[in-house]
Amino acid sequence: MTRWRRPDELLLTLLALLSAGLWAFPLYWAVVTTLKPEYEVVAPGIRLWPQTFTFGAYAYVLANTNIARWYLNSFATAGAVTVLVIGMSAGCGYAISQLRFPLRRLLFGLILASFMVPLQALIVTHFVLMNDFGLINSWGGVVLPQLIVPVVVIVYKQFFDSIPREFREAALMDGASELRLFTQVFLPMNWGVTTALAIITFIGAWNAFLWPFLVASTDRAMTVTVGIVQVHDSFGVQYARNLAGAVMAAMPVALAYLIFQRRVTEAIALSAGIKG
Amino acid sequence: MAEALSPARARRAPARREALQAAAFVAPFAIAYLVLFIYPTLKLIQLSFTNAPLIGDGKWVGWANYARLLRDHLFIQSVYHTVYFVALTVLPTTLLGLAIALMVVRLSGWLRSIVLACFFLPYILPVTVVTLIWQWVLDLQFGIAQPLLRLFGGSGVAVFKSAAWAMPMVAFVTIWWTNGFNVLLFIAGLRNIPPDYYAAAALDGAGRMAQFRHITWPLIWPVTALVLTIQLILQLKIFDQIYLLTQGGPFNSTYVVVQYIYRQAFVLNHGGYGATVALFLFAIIVAFSVLQYQVLRTRDVP
Amino acid sequence: MRTTRLLAAIAAGFVMSCAASAFAADKTHVVWWDFLSGGDGIRMKAMIGKFNAESPDIQIDATTLEWGTPYYTKVQTSAAVGQGPDVMTYHLSRMPLGVASGVLRPFTDQDLASVGLSANDYFPSDWDAAHVDGKLYGVPLDIHSIILYYNKDVLGKAGLLDAAGLPKGLDGIANFNTALQKLTGGATQYGVSFATGDNSGATNWRIFYTLLNQMGGTLMDGDKVLDGSNEQKAVKATEAIADWVKQGWAPKNTDYPASIALFTSGKAAMHINGVWEVPTMVDLAKNHKLGFAWGAVQIPTLFDHQATWADSHSFAIPARKGNPVPAEKVAAVMKVIAWMNRNSIMWASAGHIPAYRPVTESAAFRDMQPNATYAALAKTAVFDPRSKIAGVASPVYDACNNFVQPAINGQMGAADAISQMKSQLESDLQ
Repeated sequence: MTRWRRPDELLLTLLALLSAGLWAFPLYWAVVTTLKPEYEVVAPGIRLWPQTFTFGAYAYVLANTNIARWYLNSFATAGAVTVLVIGMSAGCGYAISQLRFPLRRLLFGLILASFMVPLQALIVTHFVLMNDFGLINSWGGVVLPQLIVPVVVIVYKQFFDSIPREFREAALMDGASELRLFTQVFLPMNWGVTTALAIITFIGAWNAFLWPFLVASTDRAMTVTVGIVQVHDSFGVQYARNLAGAVMAAMPVALAYLIFQRRVTEAIALSAGIKG
Repeated sequence: MAEALSPARARRAPARREALQAAAFVAPFAIAYLVLFIYPTLKLIQLSFTNAPLIGDGKWVGWANYARLLRDHLFIQSVYHTVYFVALTVLPTTLLGLAIALMVVRLSGWLRSIVLACFFLPYILPVTVVTLIWQWVLDLQFGIAQPLLRLFGGSGVAVFKSAAWAMPMVAFVTIWWTNGFNVLLFIAGLRNIPPDYYAAAALDGAGRMAQFRHITWPLIWPVTALVLTIQLILQLKIFDQIYLLTQGGPFNSTYVVVQYIYRQAFVLNHGGYGATVALFLFAIIVAFSVLQYQVLRTRDVP
Repeated sequence: MRTTRLLAAIAAGFVMSCAASAFAADKTHVVWWDFLSGGDGIRMKAMIGKFNAESPDIQIDATTLEWGTPYYTKVQTSAAVGQGPDVMTYHLSRMPLGVASGVLRPFTDQDLASVGLSANDYFPSDWDAAHVDGKLYGVPLDIHSIILYYNKDVLGKAGLLDAAGLPKGLDGIANFNTALQKLTGGATQYGVSFATGDNSGATNWRIFYTLLNQMGGTLMDGDKVLDGSNEQKAVKATEAIADWVKQGWAPKNTDYPASIALFTSGKAAMHINGVWEVPTMVDLAKNHKLGFAWGAVQIPTLFDHQATWADSHSFAIPARKGNPVPAEKVAAVMKVIAWMNRNSIMWASAGHIPAYRPVTESAAFRDMQPNATYAALAKTAVFDPRSKIAGVASPVYDACNNFVQPAINGQMGAADAISQMKSQLESDLQ
């Protein structure tokens, strides 16, 4: 590459590489630690690679916690949040964009106004409500308060707005129902948007801490994100074990990101109202 | 068929049909919105006038909870600490995000993918994972960052146990965790600047700094304003990192508002008073959201 | 949608596996919560496993939650929403607070009689601590305390061991400090390690309270906090501990696991911690990972007379609002409690002193090491103050965490810290 010949360009590139390496180093260090036996973890000196390579910490976590159950809870609740949020928001965004109905403006105004719903401020009344529903310590209780994500409605509305009227009119002339129009014309046109939003919603629900921490107290509904710190050993030497739990909790979202890198970055730009 | 009906009816019948169809599309979201957002908000207001425990009814106490709020030492401290945390995070993370974006955007190909992934990966991790990693990296006895701290301070520092260090370090970890989000927004914004502008400036002999001052900065400002407001609202809601790293200590020096809601409502079983604190936070965030909406609108982005 | 189908499959699989386990065992299920992890957790899991294997009609479904405030917050919110366990572990130190917040169901005489337990099976101090206003709210399982772990190799070289391999010359604060000085530097970095920066403040509380009581001081007397000369004694106790840190004899601001690692990796000559870490040492020594010979004794008499902080794990039944634990579950819970007590020799291997006297007085326990070496501490054990602001995860622990802990780590003057603690606790009492 020609521009690398200029020394300041090369310097800037090296600086970028160096700072990226430093930024990601804690991640590397955490993973390496999990592969060492506990006594080596606390041994003096810095070893960037394990002297004795072991999966003992992982085996310990698998054998001594209910991490399989937490995984199930996380997949079920994050999956349900994703499907419901996408389904409800796409439908609502479609109606606001394409159909005329009373209170349409009011509804959209409300959604815009609650752009940044402070769920943290509603923990008290959500807890009371979930108790009224008998959903404390259940999947339903974990899922419901996470369903309000107005920004997804806004993004869908904007995308449906940008589809030319002709598509709609042509399809209606063919006698297509609104439902068919929505599921077979409008949604497929925005498949990329839907996948991007679904991935980021899933990651958000998987990572949620405060609410699942409040509503789930036992393994019955505890998610892996909460589980790795709630039921951790408070006694004994344990660094590698703690971090092994952390690595396992992060694995699904890290993989989702690495596989769908482009979609994730796209979704973030979308949800902030910037087209990348 | 249309001729058989009066023009007004012809319009009204499909309109009613359309409204019914719209209702079917809107209903799931609208019902969820009513039950899970509007109702809890109204209930929060009602609770704030009672002395109810977390679960169960209380007596109407009028403005007593609000009066107590003004005299409550730990509450006032937690507001102050929240503001301190916002000050420590919002501007630094915005500037750092821009700097990193400028660094990344001039790379291309695999180099760019790798560098971007390094900066972005922390953002998609659960908060508990992030705090476990940093507790280990910063551990006083065995942390790999301690030699670095010793370089500055002479001796090791238990960063989450020291009143001077705790909040800045929580802010640091937060920036490390969430900065990738800002980087992405800035990259998207930078790519929207037409390359011709830079080419023209280069022809005029403008240096890198001059180009940044006269082209990049004015054109990236709307994104900067957006990032600033998003971060402001986000960081006001700080709880997770504090709860996991310092529990509000040492000696309450990192106690924040959401943690105080949790303490009153869940630890001490004061649902009514907890609701009052929550309502305070709610009002602040709504106010800032309005501000953000204004920012978005003036940007004229669809 | 592929995701939905996958979810449906997962859900179906889950429902079936639940149904299968419910049909397989036609037993009464007892839901059990505890906060026991590390060595404690391993021993308790083994006991539960043994119980489940032996019992023809009862199955324990156990959950372990995080010790301290997180545990007791969960217990409180669960009881308030009518959920939670059928039986749970509960610290006796926290009984007055637990009763005041309405989360505990009292045991009746019939409950005890149904499984043949009675007051005579327990030490009076334990039995009294389990009562509030004349009602029994917990059945004690053990007495546990803090002890002094020591590195025999290092103390031996420093001439601090007697012929039997027990430490000598540690009694009296001046002697103890001299020993610490001798043990710091050289082979070991610190004379003694303990969790000076414990997240819950619990370790510092245990040591502070031990020293306060060795001077004959009391923290609370009715509504009076650190009354009269007690305040001066509290300052003196805090200063003594802060001095160890200031002199570099003990590590500053150190987390719980790090404080143990300092001892087990040979960097600290001695270690102050609960008896519950005995299994950690036993297991490490067994696997030849320790690298030195270790021992444990009761905390030396540093001031006027012997005294050591102590607490007790007990079993309690929650008062679940609107959904009380039904009678047949209570009957099953009583069988569980009785079994745990009668088999508490297993629990003693986690370092504890069993509360159930037939076990404590058995030959098997008298021969158990290192428990036998420090079992005498039970005679001079002092429990936390009897108050609704005291006990594990109480305002007293919070105050210790907020004031005594910073003073120990040199972030606050001892006199200032104690006076702030006093006024904080006085306002907590109102």
